[in-house]
This record gives sequence, structure tokens and C-alpha cells, in this order.
Amino acid sequence: MAGKASATPATYSPSPATRKGKPTIYKDGDRDWVRPDGRGFQQCRPAFFRTGAVNAASGSAYAEIGNTQVIVSVFGPRESKKAMMYSDVGRLNCNVSCTTFSTPIRGQDFDQGSDHKEYSSMLHKALEGAIILESFPKTTVDVFALVLESGGSDLPVIISCASLALADAGIMMYDLVASVSMSSLGSDLVIDPISEEESYQDGSLIISCMPSRYEVTQLTITGEWSTNKINEAMQVCLDACGKLGKIMRSCLKEATSATSE
Amino acid sequence: MEIDRIDGRSPNQLRPLACSRGILNRAHGSASWSQGFPRDTKVLAAVYGPKAGTKKNENPERACIEVIWKPKTGQSGKQEKEYEMILKRTLQSICILTINPNTTTSIIIQVVQDDGSLLPCAINAACAALVDAGIPLKHLAVSICCCLASSGYVILDPTKQEEEGMKAFAYLVFPNSIKLILPEGSSHAQGERMEDGIVTSVTHGAMSVEDYFHCLDRGRAATAKLSDFLRRNLQPQVLADGSKAG
Amino acid sequence: MGLSNVVGDLSLEMEVDAFRRLFPLRFYERHLSESIRPDGRTLKSARDTSVALGAVASADGSALTKIGSTTMLAAAKMEVMTPSADAPDEGSIDCCFVAVEYYMPSICSPLVRPGRPAEIAPVISKQLYDTILSSGMIDLKELSLISGKAAWMVYLDIYCLDADGALFDAALLSAVAAFSHLRFPVVSLNDEGRLVMVPEEGNGDKSGKEVVNKEKRKLSLSSPPFSLTCALHKNYILADPTSEEEAVMETFVTVVLNSSGHLVSLYKPGGPVLTQTSVIQDCIALTRQRMKEVQEILDESISGMEID
Repeated sequence: MAGKASATPATYSPSPATRKGKPTIYKDGDRDWVRPDGRGFQQCRPAFFRTGAVNAASGSAYAEIGNTQVIVSVFGPRESKKAMMYSDVGRLNCNVSCTTFSTPIRGQDFDQGSDHKEYSSMLHKALEGAIILESFPKTTVDVFALVLESGGSDLPVIISCASLALADAGIMMYDLVASVSMSSLGSDLVIDPISEEESYQDGSLIISCMPSRYEVTQLTITGEWSTNKINEAMQVCLDACGKLGKIMRSCLKEATSATSE
Repeated sequence: MEIDRIDGRSPNQLRPLACSRGILNRAHGSASWSQGFPRDTKVLAAVYGPKAGTKKNENPERACIEVIWKPKTGQSGKQEKEYEMILKRTLQSICILTINPNTTTSIIIQVVQDDGSLLPCAINAACAALVDAGIPLKHLAVSICCCLASSGYVILDPTKQEEEGMKAFAYLVFPNSIKLILPEGSSHAQGERMEDGIVTSVTHGAMSVEDYFHCLDRGRAATAKLSDFLRRNLQPQVLADGSKAG
Repeated sequence: MGLSNVVGDLSLEMEVDAFRRLFPLRFYERHLSESIRPDGRTLKSARDTSVALGAVASADGSALTKIGSTTMLAAAKMEVMTPSADAPDEGSIDCCFVAVEYYMPSICSPLVRPGRPAEIAPVISKQLYDTILSSGMIDLKELSLISGKAAWMVYLDIYCLDADGALFDAALLSAVAAFSHLRFPVVSLNDEGRLVMVPEEGNGDKSGKEVVNKEKRKLSLSSPPFSLTCALHKNYILADPTSEEEAVMETFVTVVLNSSGHLVSLYKPGGPVLTQTSVIQDCIALTRQRMKEVQEILDESISGMEID
């Protein structure tokens, strides 16, 4: 440490970064372990949505699910980039970035800049199927998300929040997109995992769907899953998406009734 | 109260000025401006344009000014970005932007030597380079650095050595004092003379409000000398150009 | 809104809206001549301002501030560093104990796009850093933990969530609020000579380690700075401009005063309106007035926090 006498001082966070001594949060074979926040295995965190968070945008939404906080702004439909070729259908452009304080240790995910490439393309794929791109030919709709605080299940929260922001912007969609994830921890499946659970997971399943049409826009599975487990997880997630969709819908209704009064 | 300055100047005395124009062949206009001798602050300014507006700065109604600041060594950081912004806004306010709409004029500032009062030196250099490039201007601008010592004493045009240990600075840009060609009184809009105006003010460090106005007065008093120098420097070439045209 | 009566209103509304977009300057001048602004404010009043402390759970100090719809989220995080040998107690210019970064993510404004960062962001970063340091708000000595061996490094990150004018003012307010909410974590020295956090409930007794900073838990913040940006147009002075006003007008003066009344910064970057001395005095007077308002709002939110 002392040897490094560079212009930018080497600093470290005093928080205990390594959980070496700490036992894992679950034990295989023990079916009675309790989730860190005391939820049931198939119980989601309470969700809060609000539209119109950013005035400068055409539409926006804020989502807070547990500790995960996300803001999504939608701009457009507006002129496509000059380099873009003519297109009969509209374009969707998605970008996800994180704040330096989104993770417990400052700038942990900051190695390759604040943009999250993987999330950006996943968000794009999850939303693309729900938007009626024919309704805004030649133009682009920009969907920008900022993760204020990452508390687990970030991508599903971003996707749900983004579809709400699109609705707030008045972009034509077949339906809202609700997204829920599931983690596989040993032999157990937990829905809507928090960061701590995600760090121990053997596999994850993210499902994005349009609840009222009962159509899936995106399904991502990582890790090792048996067919039975996938079926179980999908059913649980789809049910949860339905419930989440209702909450999102009521948020939109509230917003419109508030403005018309 | 008197502070002895290291180079023996009086508090209001500026360092010797030097300016030469048209020193770069490829640029549309260029100037080097230096303050001080033999150690000096020297800045090279080059103007390219007006050229067709780039996509980024396209504006169908006005011309766009772009400033690129090159430090003496190393890469440009936040400090340079701040300088660029100040220079850009300052030059925008003296150029007549409506004459060449949808064009971009680039001003490149290269720091050759920094011995204090860097930003004012660059502003003066840019102004001379704009004249050299024949960009239409509303008026000239002259820039000066005022330094405030903790004892409340003000010195002008500090060197790097003097800048260190000072309580506060003010970088000020004033419009050049006008030689009236207009009928008497026409420039006295609302009873305020143009010379009393301030184009740009940037300060560093905490000072009392009175001290700031004191700096302002002292800076303004010194600009007459700077304006004279700038005007004298620009004159011969203007005359020569005029005779060519005639 | 019933459908039947909308149609008539809409045509009238559209006309005003179209006029506003097509001839923004005339639209504003028409308002200014009546001494009122399109959002209903008088020329010299600022927008509603609010401060919420502790908005970010993972930070050691944080604040969410709003001026009108301009929203800033500031979070300060503390890390430990080894100070340079020549200034063991207060850091030097090139390695100071405070780092300030201002971000404009693309969610905040239609003008900012990913891959094309806002030009103004690094400039505001620099101005904030200069202002915070030269206001004398932070006594750098307070950041020292073990003289010459360890000191706190404060990373202050400010995110603009919604850009609607007067960005610097809102960012500075959020910075001051985040600093006043800042609490140092309790740390003790471990066997490897590094400082580690002591869990709150444990009091450090379990490990038998001595807590390094028992008393020093927060910054004393002697004279916090407050700022006000005014837009100048002809003879009018408009306090706290919105982004629409910023687009129409071209001359701005930002005055920063600290609570002991000193001028920390007077920033006027060019602009076609030449400021007369009297105008500057007016701007300073407006800032004084505004400082009182903002300080009250800040004090209120701080006292609200202490009750909890």
C-alpha cells in the first residue's frame, strides 16, 4: 500500500468485502431454511411503481421492488440516427446503465464504463415483441434505464419498469410486459431473489411475458435445470407475472385518473 | 500594504505583451499571444472556418463555435473541458453568429508555456486569431487575471509563482474600449457605457463581495492598456489589406 | 376531461403551444413585459425546492433534491486511503480527500444520448469540486483518521435524474445536503494494518479491537455554499431558469455565496448581454435571499431526520 505513491491515491472500502467465514444461506437437504428477508420461497417482494418520474422525457417510470430501484425514461418516437437506413417499421433502442452507488462497493461494475451491454440487449429483446413497431415508421424510440440501487432481480425490474414507461409515453403496445426471475438454490426454487441469494444461485430463470395475452416475449435460463424444474419454475413465474401485471395496470390507471381530475 | 512583486512590477503593471498574427500557414487565421519576458505565458490560437456545419453542431439559424484546448503535455481532462466551455461561450458572445448560419468555426488553442494567467492569455490569443481569420465580430474583448492576496491586496496579471498562495482569483473579460465612430450618445444605451459591461467572469476561491468589485474596478482600469495594445497590433495589417483592396 | 369540451379548448391550446415552439423568444418577451413567466412565477422567484436525506441506503450520506422538476441524487461513500507524506493531515492539491463526480445519464434529458456524453457534465464536476473546496465547508483535517497513516476519502457522486435548468444550483444543493447527512462508519484497525468496519451492534468489544473514530462521526460543515443562477435577457433578470428558458436566453450569471456571506464564485461565461456592475449587485442580492430560503429547507430536512 505505502509503496504506491501515484497521483490517484489507492483507496479501499472499510466494509468487510469477503464473506469467507460466513456460511452459505441455505443448506442442501435442509428444506426449512429461511430466506434472508424472511419471505416464503414463492413470495415476491412488494412492488411499487410510479409513472411520470422524469419530466424531460416523453414517458418515464420509477420502480422500487425491495431494495432494487430503477428509473426508466422513454424518448421519442424521434428522428433516427443519420447513419441508419430507411426502415418501414420503427426502431427500438435500449440502454441500461448503473450508478456508482448501485452496488455496496463503489464502482464495482464500473470496469467497462457505466453502460451495461448485456442488460441493454436483453431489455431490447424482451420489449421488442410487445411494441407495435409499425406504428412509428422511420423513427426511433429510445428506452434508457438507470439502476439507482441494485438489490437483486435487476433485469426483471428494469423490463417491467420499461414497459410501464413506454405506456406512459403513449407508445403502442400489444400489452404491458411483466418480468419475474427465479433462482435455483440447490434443490429449492426461490422467486424474485435478492442480491445475496443471486450470488449463491446454481441457475436462474427469467421470464418476461404479456400477462393478458399469456404470451412470453423472453425466456432466459442459465445453469443446470431439469425439465421438471423448468416446468415448475415457469408456472410459478407466469402466475407471478400475472399478479405483477395487475399492479402495473393499476399504477397506469391511477396516473390517468389523477391527470383527468 | 505594499507587496513587493518578485519581478519588481507595481501591482497594476502588466507583463510585457507580445502578439504576432498569421504565423500558421494552413489555418485560416492564427495568432500567438505571450505575456511576460523572458519567462512567459504563451498560447497559440488557430482558427479554421467558417466551414460547413458538422452534423453534431448543425443549426440552421446561427453559426457554431467550437473550441479545442490542447494542454502543453498530456491529455485534456476536466480542467481543459472547463476552459473550452468558458472560451466557447465568451467567443460566441463577441462573434456575429447570424452572418454565417449553419457553419462551424473551430478555434484550437495550444498552450506553449504556462506561467500564470493562462486562461486570459488564451482568450486574448483567440480574439486576435479571430480577427486574423476575418471572422465578423461585434467588438473585441480583452481578458485579465486579478489576484487577491489574503491581506486584501489586489495584483494584476500574476505569474505562476504569484498565483500560488493567493486567496482568490478572478478571470475577467471586458469588451474592448470603443473608439467612437458612431454619433455621440448612440452607444450609451440606457445611460450605461459599453465599457462598463463584463463579458465573462470566472472566480476561484472565497472573497468578500467588496473585494470582488474592487478586482472588477482594477481589472477594468487595466484593460485600456490591453485594448490599446491589441488595437495597435491589429491596425497595420488592416491598413495594408485595405490598400490592397483599394 | 370530458371529450365534448376538449375540442374547443384544444384548438386554442394548440395555438399557444405552437406559438411557444415556433417563436420562443417572442413568446417569452410577451410574458416578460407583463413581469410574469409561463410557469406562473414572478421574474425573481425560484421554483419549489425540496430536499430528502438518506435516499440511497448503500451510501454513507445521500440526498435527493428537487428544484422544480430538476432532480439530483447525490451519494457520498467513504473509503480509506493513505495520505501523502508532505501533507499528512489534509491532503494536497493532487491527492485531496474529496472527489466529486457529476453524471448526466441519458435518462435525464432528450439531448443526452448513450455514447455521446453531455459536454457540460465534466465542466459542472469541476465547478462543484472547486466550489466545495474553496467555500471552506469541509475542514479536511476532520477526514484524518490516524495522522499520516490513514484518512477518509470521500467519493461524492451526483446523478442528474431530470434536467430542467439550473443544473449547477441543484447539484450543489444535493452535494451540501449529502455532506450534511454523511456519517462516518465506525472502524477499527485489524491485524493486517487495514481499517475495517465495526458492526454497529457489536461495539467492537467482541474482537477486542479499539474503535479508531469514536467521536468523529460526522463533518462539522462550517460554511456551506449555496448558489443561484440568473438568466439575463435585455434588462430582465430571471432567477432559477428552466431548461426552456435556458434555451431561449443566452446570458447566465451563477453566484455562489457561503453562509458566512463570502463570494465563493461569480461565474458568467460570456453571453451577449454585457453585465453592468449594478446587475451583478442585483444577482448577488437575489442569491442572498435565495440562500436563506434554501438553508431553511435544508435545516428542516436535517432536523426531521434527527427526530427519526
